[in-house]
Amino acid sequence: MAKITPLSHWLTAAPNNIIAVHIDSTRHIDSTVTTEDFLLRVQCWFETLNKHEGSRWALYHSDAFEFLAILFALWQLKRTACTPGDNRPGTLKRLTTHVDGFVGEFPGEAITACDIPEGRSDLKPWRTLMPEFLALEIYTSGSTGEPKPIGKTIAQLEQEIEVLESRWPSLPGSVTLATVSHQHIYGMMFRLLWPFCVGQAFSRQICQYPEDILHQAKPHRSFSLISSPSHLGRLNVSMNWKSLSGHCRYVISSAAPLKREDSLLVSQLLNAQIFEIYGSSETGAIAWRTQQEHHTDALWQPLPKVSLAPDTDGTLCVTSPYLGTANSFSLPDRVEFNRSNQFKLIGRVDRIVKIEGKRVSLTAIEQQLLENTLVKNAKALTVERKRVETAAVIELTSEGWRQLKSHGRKPLIKTLKGILAQHFEAVILPRRWRFVEQLPYNQQGKLPLDILQSMFIDEPVKWPKIIHQQVSDNQLTIQCYIPAELIYFDGHFDNNPILPGITQVHWAEAFGRQLLSVTGSFEGLEAIKFQKVIPPGQQISINLTYDETQNKLRFQYASQNGVHSSGRICFG
Amino acid sequence: MSNLHLELKQMIIETLDLEDIDTSEIINDEPLFVEGLGLDSIDALEIGLALQKKYGITLKSDSEETRQYFSSINALVELVESHRSK
Repeated sequence: MAKITPLSHWLTAAPNNIIAVHIDSTRHIDSTVTTEDFLLRVQCWFETLNKHEGSRWALYHSDAFEFLAILFALWQLKRTACTPGDNRPGTLKRLTTHVDGFVGEFPGEAITACDIPEGRSDLKPWRTLMPEFLALEIYTSGSTGEPKPIGKTIAQLEQEIEVLESRWPSLPGSVTLATVSHQHIYGMMFRLLWPFCVGQAFSRQICQYPEDILHQAKPHRSFSLISSPSHLGRLNVSMNWKSLSGHCRYVISSAAPLKREDSLLVSQLLNAQIFEIYGSSETGAIAWRTQQEHHTDALWQPLPKVSLAPDTDGTLCVTSPYLGTANSFSLPDRVEFNRSNQFKLIGRVDRIVKIEGKRVSLTAIEQQLLENTLVKNAKALTVERKRVETAAVIELTSEGWRQLKSHGRKPLIKTLKGILAQHFEAVILPRRWRFVEQLPYNQQGKLPLDILQSMFIDEPVKWPKIIHQQVSDNQLTIQCYIPAELIYFDGHFDNNPILPGITQVHWAEAFGRQLLSVTGSFEGLEAIKFQKVIPPGQQISINLTYDETQNKLRFQYASQNGVHSSGRICFG
Repeated sequence: MSNLHLELKQMIIETLDLEDIDTSEIINDEPLFVEGLGLDSIDALEIGLALQKKYGITLKSDSEETRQYFSSINALVELVESHRSK
């Protein structure tokens, strides 16, 4: 195991290392930065930041080395670094009231560069950081929809690094590459702070494409890769991965479970072990697993010094040395343990989902949509297609309907996506939208997820979505929702779609035969009235009464707006 | 519009499972990411994979250059054509 230089003492100890590597985009120069470069850079940021006041600073920088230098400068000034996952306008706006200033790659009145001191001034006598010093504030999706701030002390960060190093001892001279950002805590710990404290160089740039991994890894005899299922699930198999064989020490994947087949494939391509990490912003890393050939999904096991047990409600209770002041923490993941203290994850208990490893609250998406005057009611959900994505079912306001009718779906979707893009990363934005007259609440006042999900199935839709049905001897009531995707709306009519009368008769007949044992062949219609049109998205009740003696089926389509249609179908 | 333009647009719609978009709505010189079509970083990975599968193209290991090729349909057409003429 390499010697750990703790974060609190790092500047005073200043071990002579290569801190980071960088490949220039001209692709001919590989540059490295050493401890000396780092100390100068910290000093530079220290001087610059020292001219400003305030104990809490928002920090964003895409260059991992620069980020680290600013981080250490802030810490020397006893300031907390508030690190958002992105620098989108909505994120900035939200942070404004929480921080005293912005440093790094931010627009507006941020400190974006440090003043290089004239001549070479002597280096600071650095101070040692106190264990309880609040070093970081990170943000994660809370179940209320509001981003939840989470504080991390120096001691918490140091203890987690110690645990990681004890499980995966580092190799000096090896380089840490990453496809994940250090702005999120997983990336910050695994690709930045951990390598930094054990004297292992990290790459300043992220690998955006699989090609970048190949390219960044090439100059190094030994490397490890910090990644996520989004990248590991999309490696290009036809690339020359063989050229890296024997150089990759291991791959770490976190942010979401990696599919078993992806794990095995990456392991084979890179000829390396894949370790998956399970954890959360609140708890840090707590468990790990490696998929095995000829097995079903591998179980998770706790990291050293971490103890895990099921809580009374079936969720996971965590005890670890790096929880801060809390004795234990309950994660909203449901778990199932075996006798050897290994477990599997069954699902979340709240409305927080992971999209491409990014944690997002569906409630937060809904809340942002509801801020808008076009949206009366909104339901966000995930649908699993080629990838798991978010989708939204929207009940529009009258202004919303007016826009939909006059300009069509696309401009409306663009507007709504634009609103969300202020607050959420692009991968999280709903890719599919449904506009309905009324959200399909059932009689219990619930919105059944399967009905919402069925709105996103592509097969030609020929039937109403049944929410509830009730059959007695010769009577049938079907509560249903009229999907806007119904094929019968095509061309009927382009600008003002309504459910055709013939479709209503056809459905009545079909449900009658199916559920009321109507027999005989169709003879004709009686007393047919189409009083009110039925638009897409309407929730409706289809009431059928079968008069067996006369062999007539009476139908009625009704909603809270009254009777839409009625009539009798005669059978012979 | 050349056949290749159309082919790439179809490839994008199919690969990315896009809803509400048909080929006529993808403008040749409009940005594919952020503004314009509004694709995201995962879409970029998927397009990279699709280019490899369909045309045998391996992206140059330089994010800057790759980003340029992914900027619009016209740029992608250029990428595929230059690869073919090699």
